[in-house]
Amino acid sequence: MEYLLHLLIIIGIYTMLAQSLGLTAGFGGMISLTHAGFYGIGAYTAAILAVNYHASFFLVLPTAMLISGLLALIVSAIAIRTIDDYFIICTLGIQIIVFSLMNNWMSLTRGSLGIAGIPAIQSLDITVDGKIPFLMLTIFFTAIIFGVIHTLTQSSFGRILRILSEDEIFAQSLGKNVYAAKIIAFAISAMLAAIPGVLYAHYISYIDPTSFTVDESIFILSIVIIGGMRNLWGNVIIAAFLVLLPEALRFVGLPNSIAANMRQIIYGSILVIAMFQHNKVVKDKVQE
Amino acid sequence: MQIPFNIFISLGVYALVALSVVMVYYPAKFFPVTHAATITVAPYLTYFYFQEFYCSLFFSVVGAIITASTIGILGEIFIYNPLRKRGASPMIMMIASLGVYIVLQNIISILWGDDTKSIIIDEIKVGNELWGAYITNIQVTTIAISFALFVGCILFMKYQRIGRNIRAVASNPELSNIFGIDSNRTILWAFGIGSALAAVAGIGVAFDTGMHPTMGFNILLYGIVVMIIGGVGSMWWLFGGALLLATAQHLSAYYIGSQWMDAVAYIILIIFLIGRPLGFSGKRLKKIEL
Repeated sequence: MEYLLHLLIIIGIYTMLAQSLGLTAGFGGMISLTHAGFYGIGAYTAAILAVNYHASFFLVLPTAMLISGLLALIVSAIAIRTIDDYFIICTLGIQIIVFSLMNNWMSLTRGSLGIAGIPAIQSLDITVDGKIPFLMLTIFFTAIIFGVIHTLTQSSFGRILRILSEDEIFAQSLGKNVYAAKIIAFAISAMLAAIPGVLYAHYISYIDPTSFTVDESIFILSIVIIGGMRNLWGNVIIAAFLVLLPEALRFVGLPNSIAANMRQIIYGSILVIAMFQHNKVVKDKVQE
Repeated sequence: MQIPFNIFISLGVYALVALSVVMVYYPAKFFPVTHAATITVAPYLTYFYFQEFYCSLFFSVVGAIITASTIGILGEIFIYNPLRKRGASPMIMMIASLGVYIVLQNIISILWGDDTKSIIIDEIKVGNELWGAYITNIQVTTIAISFALFVGCILFMKYQRIGRNIRAVASNPELSNIFGIDSNRTILWAFGIGSALAAVAGIGVAFDTGMHPTMGFNILLYGIVVMIIGGVGSMWWLFGGALLLATAQHLSAYYIGSQWMDAVAYIILIIFLIGRPLGFSGKRLKKIEL
């Protein structure tokens, strides 16, 4: 039972990550691989503030979101000069720089040793301790992010994003400020990604840089792509599927070490198949 | 004196990987992330042929290069060619090749384990002393082979029929079809040659520093960085890009610390994207100026 609750919390965290990335990658058409970096910045901000300064959750969360958002502004100002595959390479480079900072800035992040002993979430006199309250909190934040992304993408801002993902020059010719829309979307996405980071740090109570690598970025991106790019419920289902997959493989009797590799092989293959499907969908739309 | 030697070793590898990327990027118009798996699989195959099949070193290296290049060609036949026929964009092609890379890399992990392996040829020696620096025979061979291949490839692209076909398809696929150049066949050649070059680079690195299942991704990314800072114009500029990257990395490793080598590579990339987005060669590219 405990383990089931743990899996549900992890599914919640990945759902939040995938949906926040969906705003840029899915709706905005900017396939970014920096997302694990923003997730990590959230987690590290929470860890450093909570361990060194015993800050309350209501202070930690906005600070983490602010730092992540500010970094996203800088990142997007650089990355948005490029498009398509150059954009992917650029964000990939930024992800590696962020990881490198986490891994080597010993005085701040304690490098590969990681930060241990992160306390449970507490503010005023409420302490979120134990799995069930934490799951409630995770569901609460997942619902908020779901709501924010849903409202945003239904608004006029969402329509601008959709237009520019399909034809940037056309969007410009309509008098839309493409540059600003891209940067705002990127910053919102990064701020939302800091939330699961904060939750993860408090939940696991120990973080180290290996949780925020390029592979993690690729994994989050796979959830978005396989989930159908602009499908919020699709993200939930695929996040659940990919988190539960190694458990299912272990249940079938695969040893632990192979189960992790098998999961990657399976989502790699689904990614390739999804690319075949994705293209068909786009073509059908054009023919209509 | 050790630093110039280290720069030379990296220079050879980076130039070779950049060339292998460009070989596919020119005609097929996407970043072949699968090359990362080719870079990794080649030394593992060498290890397999050499230490488990007891083949001679020469045959295991050649066999590994041929197998790795076959894997690249099969990828083109079964995945990229069908995708291209459906009119996939470069981004879709790149994500598909990322998927293929994930699959191949994990197969390598399952087959040979995640630990670092090295190919042992003979007993470990200190290396030859030359002008106060140490350099091993393997490093000398790697440098010599990569420079020879680099020059050879550029001449091949200029004077050989297949090389010229690749350049023709790169500049205008439809027009070259009209002139009787089969673009699919040409891209197949490009994949074969590109994968073979990537395999050579991977084997060179593995002989020098050992191998592990995720080594290829970093090496490939350096190659892509070299390609972007070199620009997509002339192939000689790739050499300039590789020289800049290798020099910056080894100087920073000496003065700041070797753990920052990765970060330095991407900081250079970002500086170039801000300051000189077209790379050294300055050839115009739609993607970086909208």
